Amino acid sequence: MPILYKILTALLALTGCASLAITGEVSPIMSLSAVALVPGYYRFFKGEKHAPTAVIGILAILELFIFLFDAVTVSGDVFIAVAHLTIAFQALKSFDLKEPWDHLQVYFVSLLQLIIASELTTSLAFGIVFVVFMVMLVTAMVFSHFLKEGHIDKALVSRPVYVISVLTLCMTTVFFIALPRLTHRFIGKSHTRGIRTSGFSEQMEFGDLGSIKLDPTVILRVEMDAGASGPLYWRGRTLEVFDGIRWKNELGAKNRIQKTGDEFLLGSYNRGQVVEQQIDLEPLDSDVIFGLSMIRSIKTDAYFLTVDTAGNLAQPGKVSRRSRYTVYSDISKEEEGTPQPIYLQVPFGIERISELARDITRPYQTSKRTSNKNDARSDDQSGDQSDEQKAQAIAEYLRSNYAYTLTVSPAPKGISPLEDFLFRSKRGYCEHYSSAMVLMLRSVGIPARIVTGFLGGDRNAYGGYLIVRQRDAHSWVEALINGKWKRYDPTPSVAPAPVESYSLFWDSVKTQWARYVVGFRSSDQRAIFVHLTRQFITGFGLFRPDDLSVNGSYTVRYSVLLVIVALILLLTMLFIAWQKRQRKRSGARPWAITASYLKVRKALKRSGLSMTPSTTSAGIMEQAGHFSFNILLSDYLSDYNRIRFGKKSVDEAFLNQEHELIREIGRKQKKDAGK
Amino acid sequence: MYNTTMATMINQSLRQLQNQMESVLRGKSDTIKMAIVTLLGGGHLLIEDIPGVGKTTLASVLAKSVECSFRRIQFTSDLLPTDIIGVTIYNQDRRDFEFRQGPLFSNIVLADEINRTNPKTQSALLEAMSEKKVSVERNTFVLPEPFMVIATQNPVEYQGTFPLPESQLDRFMMHITIGYPLPEYERQAILRPSSFEIMEDLAPVLSRQDIVRMQDEAGKIAVHDSLVEYLLQIIAATRNHPAVRLGASTRGAQFFLTAARAHAYYEGRDFIIPDDIKMLAPFLLGHRIILKTRRVIAEADLIIRDIVERLPVPL
Repeated sequence: MPILYKILTALLALTGCASLAITGEVSPIMSLSAVALVPGYYRFFKGEKHAPTAVIGILAILELFIFLFDAVTVSGDVFIAVAHLTIAFQALKSFDLKEPWDHLQVYFVSLLQLIIASELTTSLAFGIVFVVFMVMLVTAMVFSHFLKEGHIDKALVSRPVYVISVLTLCMTTVFFIALPRLTHRFIGKSHTRGIRTSGFSEQMEFGDLGSIKLDPTVILRVEMDAGASGPLYWRGRTLEVFDGIRWKNELGAKNRIQKTGDEFLLGSYNRGQVVEQQIDLEPLDSDVIFGLSMIRSIKTDAYFLTVDTAGNLAQPGKVSRRSRYTVYSDISKEEEGTPQPIYLQVPFGIERISELARDITRPYQTSKRTSNKNDARSDDQSGDQSDEQKAQAIAEYLRSNYAYTLTVSPAPKGISPLEDFLFRSKRGYCEHYSSAMVLMLRSVGIPARIVTGFLGGDRNAYGGYLIVRQRDAHSWVEALINGKWKRYDPTPSVAPAPVESYSLFWDSVKTQWARYVVGFRSSDQRAIFVHLTRQFITGFGLFRPDDLSVNGSYTVRYSVLLVIVALILLLTMLFIAWQKRQRKRSGARPWAITASYLKVRKALKRSGLSMTPSTTSAGIMEQAGHFSFNILLSDYLSDYNRIRFGKKSVDEAFLNQEHELIREIGRKQKKDAGK
Repeated sequence: MYNTTMATMINQSLRQLQNQMESVLRGKSDTIKMAIVTLLGGGHLLIEDIPGVGKTTLASVLAKSVECSFRRIQFTSDLLPTDIIGVTIYNQDRRDFEFRQGPLFSNIVLADEINRTNPKTQSALLEAMSEKKVSVERNTFVLPEPFMVIATQNPVEYQGTFPLPESQLDRFMMHITIGYPLPEYERQAILRPSSFEIMEDLAPVLSRQDIVRMQDEAGKIAVHDSLVEYLLQIIAATRNHPAVRLGASTRGAQFFLTAARAHAYYEGRDFIIPDDIKMLAPFLLGHRIILKTRRVIAEADLIIRDIVERLPVPL
């Protein structure tokens, strides 16, 4: 057995296991069996004897029990347990490679591993592993085919491998573009875990955002016009109720937004005034829809979206799913609102904070208004001016008197984190600032709420888009002043850490992958087909191009992609045609002649001749000398030798000879069977 | 240079040669073929067998059937190099020394029982075999073309023999054995007139020039790369075989290829096929390898056969 074939088998087994490893979903402990691959294949390369059948059998049964145990308790998930089982199988098989069939089993399980991995990850690394795997698998299959015939010639193998690999890649691409998309996964529950985020669920605790301030995981990728000025606040969710420890969203009622066409309209808007943002949202553990405020409309494939009274948008069922949508926001507008008791709620025991708030806002105190917090419903207009001043004063106070830090030591016992921040340590991060401000505003009777989301982002020059990371997570304040929710950010600004350009480049590659491979959807398909149809029709001059407008801005990119695919197909076809002509011209068909000979050998073997790798044509004649078609056979063999080792070329007559011979052998075989 | 009619012609004359030789040495077609292939390859032949199975007859009938000079040298322990090469004598008429050619100066030389003579004479013969010329004092004498030594040796008798060293065995292109004839042929052999009587009536089938031309043409036979590879694999396998102490040499590989060409030529082909190589391997390599156990060529043959049965042939 050629060493290359052995190496291929080992590589395929390793690739299969590696593909599972890169998903990060398999447990390292349950995958420990993969270590056994090393001694297994080492022994195999050394040509040592395979392990005794009894040992393999016992281990296999043991594996099965471990699998059951794993599925029920350790992973608690049959899917993951199967992944572990395949790794164990590969490890066991590496000690038990005796027949060609065993190699095929290894290939099959590797393929299974890749399929499982494809369900567990959508990363670019998997795409690369897949292509490598496919080429290796094709090589190995071609090898095993030739091995079955008992011979391997490098020159013989390389061409089919080359051709089949290219064809498979082309076919895969075509299928990828043409096959209908499934909105839902077809293997049970989803196994792609969303990125764990904090603060975008129904509640937020102190430290939730602070703890992720160094995490560079990408959350959003945004394509937008550079038009929007000022800091970009990617609004996520509002939180209203504070119990002294954590903030909660208790607005409850969520309303479905009516979908008109492909658009969820939240309010009328003028196309010229809004900022368009195309947002790619990584899978999160939350169903929040992010966007610049204030969102007027959303275009997405989703069937329904919900909104609550605070304007929090959510796509139910989106959790752990990648999603892509376009948001139209009117950033000059502010949301209108009415004061509600919930926006003035304060927990018990914040007298010190209220006191501080009153101290800060005293200069702007109007005679008519008092700090009576139950007076929120007052419609007194004269207070509005002072409300705004008060809010600014509080924000300014917080900004200038407190230090921003990422390392907050826990508050001493008996003191709430907020009091600790305001009166003792005077150091904190955005949640401290925004919580303090909301409570202080509420203390002076101004309705306020916390907003969590992201601030800013890095512009990626390679892809011309904005990257918003986990570490850009932020919280700020909205205060209801003059019937409008105004945004205040009491947190002092912090200089962001620079990002290396290569990581930006890599991210742009990953974005393309996520957008064009992982996120390839039915709408993209439609766009391609509509575009094609249009090209076709306009090509015949039946319509003017603007008779058919294409809905979707990716048409141009897709047509480029399509042209590339078409070019690849065309080049492949040209290459094959060229080779055919070359062969005809030179008359040299090195593998056609061998293929024919192998076919005849195979047929003869079936009819009972002993056929080993060292059997020559003379060896065949020795055994087949008494056959009724021995002259035909002898002529064929001498022609084969002349073509293969002499200077004759394959001709029609030779191929006819082959057909006739195969027929004769088949006839003889039937007759023998009859006897 | 080489076309079908010519191939047929050559084939016919070689077939005729084979038939004529078979008429004397019945039932030994393979052995005879090997002898002819050796002649076509311009090599020397070692026949190892017990006495009385026709070693000498084979050599004689080959010499008889081609129009060549033939000498037979019976090797004995007291034979001297000068006895085979020739001597320098003083010619009184010309008042000068003069070289008188020995029996070696023939086209076909039968060296009977080569292992009975002393190493000194053996090496004189073997040197002449590889150089195809003889140096005496300051003069060099080129041996006639074609030049072929057919040496016989007896594997059973050990008393008073000087076994040929490996380096000298290596100079023989092929070794063959003859073996007992099948019963029917043996019966014929004793009832018919003796082979020497038959040989009296034989006329040469090929001329000296024919042989030289055929040797030349056989040397030009095409060899596919994959077959060179195959041949070298066999050579390499003899070096790695567990039962072999010393494998075949590069000279062995050279002879192998030459013999394969000659065999293809004999079969009327202008290209080599795997069968040429596979079939010749035992005859070419059996006497070139040294086993770890005993020095018996017959046993080495089996090992070579084992090797070629294991190696895949090019397809």
